[in-house]
Amino acid sequence: MTKRELILGIETSCDETAAAVVANGHDVLSNVVSSQIDIHARYGGVVPEVASRAHVEMMTPVIAQAMVEAGVDKDDIDAIACTVGPGLIGSLLIGVSSAKALSLVWDKPFVAVNHLEAHLYSSFLEEPDLELPVVVLLVSGGHTMLILMEGHGQYRLLGETLDDAAGEAYDKVARYLGLGYPGGPIIDKMAMDGDPHAVKFPRAMVNDGYDFSFSGLKTSVVNYVRKNPDVADVDIAASFQEAVVDVLLTKARRAVKEFGATGLCLAGGVAANSSLRERTLDLAIEDGIKGFVPSRSMCTDNAAMIAAAGWWRFHSDGPASLDHGADSSLRFPSYA
Amino acid sequence: MLILGIESATSQVGVAVGGHEGVLASAHSARDRRHAENLTPQIRFVCEQARVELSEIGCVAVDIGPGLFTGLRVGIASAMAVAHGLGVPMIGVSSLDLGAFAVEHSRRLIVPCYDARRGEVFAAQYRSVPGGVQRVSEPTVATPDELAAELMAMSEDILMVGDGSERYRDVFGAISHIEFAGTSLQYPSARSLVELSHPKALREEFVAPNEIVPMYLRLPDAEINWKTRASA
Ligand SMILES: [Zn+2]
Repeated sequence: MTKRELILGIETSCDETAAAVVANGHDVLSNVVSSQIDIHARYGGVVPEVASRAHVEMMTPVIAQAMVEAGVDKDDIDAIACTVGPGLIGSLLIGVSSAKALSLVWDKPFVAVNHLEAHLYSSFLEEPDLELPVVVLLVSGGHTMLILMEGHGQYRLLGETLDDAAGEAYDKVARYLGLGYPGGPIIDKMAMDGDPHAVKFPRAMVNDGYDFSFSGLKTSVVNYVRKNPDVADVDIAASFQEAVVDVLLTKARRAVKEFGATGLCLAGGVAANSSLRERTLDLAIEDGIKGFVPSRSMCTDNAAMIAAAGWWRFHSDGPASLDHGADSSLRFPSYA
Repeated sequence: MLILGIESATSQVGVAVGGHEGVLASAHSARDRRHAENLTPQIRFVCEQARVELSEIGCVAVDIGPGLFTGLRVGIASAMAVAHGLGVPMIGVSSLDLGAFAVEHSRRLIVPCYDARRGEVFAAQYRSVPGGVQRVSEPTVATPDELAAELMAMSEDILMVGDGSERYRDVFGAISHIEFAGTSLQYPSARSLVELSHPKALREEFVAPNEIVPMYLRLPDAEINWKTRASA
């Protein structure tokens, strides 16, 4: 049997301080996430300076816990992979600084990982033999992307949002309705008790290429609620969610057909949404393709996906230099 | 015991290594705020220059601030990771202590003063005592005018050190009993950090990596707004 290769993954791009140990790119030995959601909730969103302060406090304990839970020590680790962007610069720098320092003192290769690419790898953690090409719908608070994954490191960005990310639209609508933060899980829960067909919100650009636009939808929700203050919040939530999911899946489905993909994968924090998950699986059965929805904990930001992507990057590109920095606006590595 | 010192509170980032023989090697850079890029290579470089193996390091000293938040945290996070990775304890030292220590033999009242951006400075008052300096006021963040008014009211001679006193030299220079240590000492240095930490290390005044607490002196803006709103 060939030797197991262990990657220590580190992630601090937004408001989760995370570390994980993953063997051979898919076998998760530990996956520790310290979430700051409670800290940021009172501000109604992630505050960069508050996030950076919490990362400094949590980073070392989280790494230590990931090693203990995996039952490994530094001699077992083969490389240290860390998110270098995109994300909040002050947050990214805590992970990058810690990862490079550990890499130096433990004499292990340092691997620079693109956070967006890592989200694609959350699927491989649970389905290492996923057959390519697949279409990946990457939806989170900061991103809405439709990607054709043809091979490892071989991506084509088919479309992305022209304004708000899907998760951002959820947060803004939740804030407008006074529902709290984060908006995604709250609206998702309310929508279960509402009628998704109560209000017909617009489906922007639904038949138009692969790019997305959600800012108009947010505006029409606000306008509708202003004019119809008596409509139940649960119906607004369900109808809003229906419009978001309709647009996302109409385009994803079309991409799967156009490019002859074997399946459709969800990734990113919004992929934890119940309606999106359910309808993805329904659609897959209908179209005779593979529908893949990673478990909720793998959709939101975590370090296991960083270690998985790091393992592939380490084998394709080798280690990064110790003078590597962080890049808050790092682009998705697409060739088209 | 060999001490690795990491310092990144101002526009400068620096690393030094040393022990009872004094500082064996150091490196400092202050261009383009490349703290995160430069720090790890600097650690490797000074250890190579001092012919010290990382495994020989017995303690990691770090500047805990006050300073410019993002750069400061790069140093603190790196130092914690090094200490954790080597399984050694840490010593936290304030940037203001380092500034005062650089002019420890002055008979004047010593006022280290670092640029806090947004029209403010970090400062504190120190006095020379046998074997070092002693802080005689609480570290504060203030506008140069506020600090100048406070220093103007004092009767004794004052020596200011730090990039804050250089940046606002027009404000502080108007006060006749203030002198300036000058630009060569405007940043806290990793060399001072190692020197100042050595007696602490001998007295075993250590903390664990997770006990290092950055000295910010300023709340995040959002928290200030939230507190104002909550009390309104
Ligand atoms: Zn993410």
